[in-house]
Amino acid sequence: MTSVPLSPVSHAPALPQVMVRRQTASGRIAMVLFLLAVVALAAMPWWAKTGTIRMVLELCCYIAVAQMWNMLAGYAGLVSVGQQAFMGAAGYALFVLAQTFGVNPFLAIFIALLVPAFLAVPCYMLLHRLDGPYFAIGTWVVAEVFRLVASNMGFLNAGAGMSLNVMKEYSLLERNIAMSLLCALMILLTIGGSYWFLRSRYGLALIAMRDNPVAAASQGVNVPRLRFMIYIAAAVGCGLAGAVYSMAQLRINPPSAFDPMWANVAIFIVMVGGIASIEGVLIGSLIYFIADRWFGQYGASYFVVLGVMTVFVALYARGGIWGAVSKRWDVHWFPIRRHLIYKTEERP
Amino acid sequence: MSREILLQARDVSKSFGAVRVLHEVSFDVYRGEVLGILGPNGAGKTTLFNMISGDIKPSGGDIRLGEIALRGEPPFKRCRMGIGRTYQIPRPYSGMTTFENLLVAAAFGGGRSESDAYAFCAQVLTDCELADKANTSSGSLTLLDRKRLELARALASDPKLLLLDEIAGGLTEEESRSLVALVRRIRDRGVTIVWIEHVLHALMAVADRLMVLNFGEKIAEGLPQEVIANPEVKRVYMGVEA
Repeated sequence: MTSVPLSPVSHAPALPQVMVRRQTASGRIAMVLFLLAVVALAAMPWWAKTGTIRMVLELCCYIAVAQMWNMLAGYAGLVSVGQQAFMGAAGYALFVLAQTFGVNPFLAIFIALLVPAFLAVPCYMLLHRLDGPYFAIGTWVVAEVFRLVASNMGFLNAGAGMSLNVMKEYSLLERNIAMSLLCALMILLTIGGSYWFLRSRYGLALIAMRDNPVAAASQGVNVPRLRFMIYIAAAVGCGLAGAVYSMAQLRINPPSAFDPMWANVAIFIVMVGGIASIEGVLIGSLIYFIADRWFGQYGASYFVVLGVMTVFVALYARGGIWGAVSKRWDVHWFPIRRHLIYKTEERP
Repeated sequence: MSREILLQARDVSKSFGAVRVLHEVSFDVYRGEVLGILGPNGAGKTTLFNMISGDIKPSGGDIRLGEIALRGEPPFKRCRMGIGRTYQIPRPYSGMTTFENLLVAAAFGGGRSESDAYAFCAQVLTDCELADKANTSSGSLTLLDRKRLELARALASDPKLLLLDEIAGGLTEEESRSLVALVRRIRDRGVTIVWIEHVLHALMAVADRLMVLNFGEKIAEGLPQEVIANPEVKRVYMGVEA
């Protein structure tokens, strides 16, 4: 080390002239494509058939749930296998509000999101005391408790479930328009919202917390509060996907509302696509969606193949497909890096 | 030197089960000074730092920063109160660049807005000779640069009290000298420093006082030359019988 004069940090004139670059060329292209995709989703009734809208809606739900799981496991270090608890809770809340209390179903979707948000608070208070695998097991137990409660509540028609008959009051076009707008909104909130959050100063804290929570806390990051915020946000995001998915199905019952398959799907998508990256979620979702369409007919053997793929990626390519791509080519569709550029000539 | 006490530890103890790591250690750190802490491995030095920074809770005793009792305050609050620290084994945020590592400390520990923190962090990087690695992933830094990053990150939180845990370990003599000059300049800026170090000549060059721990107990405290001449310190730390 050579001796370098240390400037008085509290005196602004001594500070160097710098600028920080946040965007990249690939990021700008991806941003335009993302916004076009959102517009295309919203405009689906004018270019897609009802069957296509249903399929795209399913894909959007995969993306939303996987991105929420990605935020939890990939950034906050909270490996949950029970996010279906909040999907089911929001789905049931929608059905009760719309079917039992007569609230407009499209308005009820948003009111229903309060339910996972409120339920997530006591759940987190209970679960945050658990570490690593115990936390994961705890989330699964919570989801099972939710399912059992729903199965035994007469108010929710117990195990028989409920139908969303009020949707008959709306024409097919009206339903398609609503579903398309909900798809666009879901992607905007989960993908766009995550990107916005990761680019904010809280995104910095989140990545610091993921890499080393002890050091992050000693640098002023309120680790417990950040984890809590992410858990609540993920519950709401999963709740939105659950409510939209249930609305599209027009029917809900405990096994479908609290289906643990959602956790499996999210884990597959994030692990294979690339954990801790939005790009990975998009790639993984597309892979799962296509694989499900092509090979879903093979049942159990198809799931075995998906499971083997996940294990293979976990063993040999931990960054997933996007991790391998970004290692080979320095491209980022959703760049969150801050690139420091010294503007003055005194730069060493 | 001002004799205003910045950090006060009284009867601080720590046990892990039946293992007693620190036993009723008391000391003061005066504002603006550099206090060096010596002691053989396992003396409880890093445990003491962990209790000051809030990473672990003391089993007994009281630690105060100025007039404020730190008991029950979580690490992030202690950082915001002005306690910055480095870790003996560097803990970089390996998914971030060097610059972003500092931004976290400046934005959260130092309470700066992100835009204000840019130039400030750039200056700290320059001071710690990391400017040319500002955009390098911190996970790919060499050990020496990781140690620089530890120091830079602690400085970025704008601390009143800086806890340095063996930052000179593994450095060449020239690098140690430069590091001492840097620590001295940080002290001259008004930052109070407590420095755990095994590289004795580095510590002796900058410390105003020394404190020696052995098996969790304070065995000496005072001016560096007096402490080094202490027969008990010679026996315990240097293996020299009086």
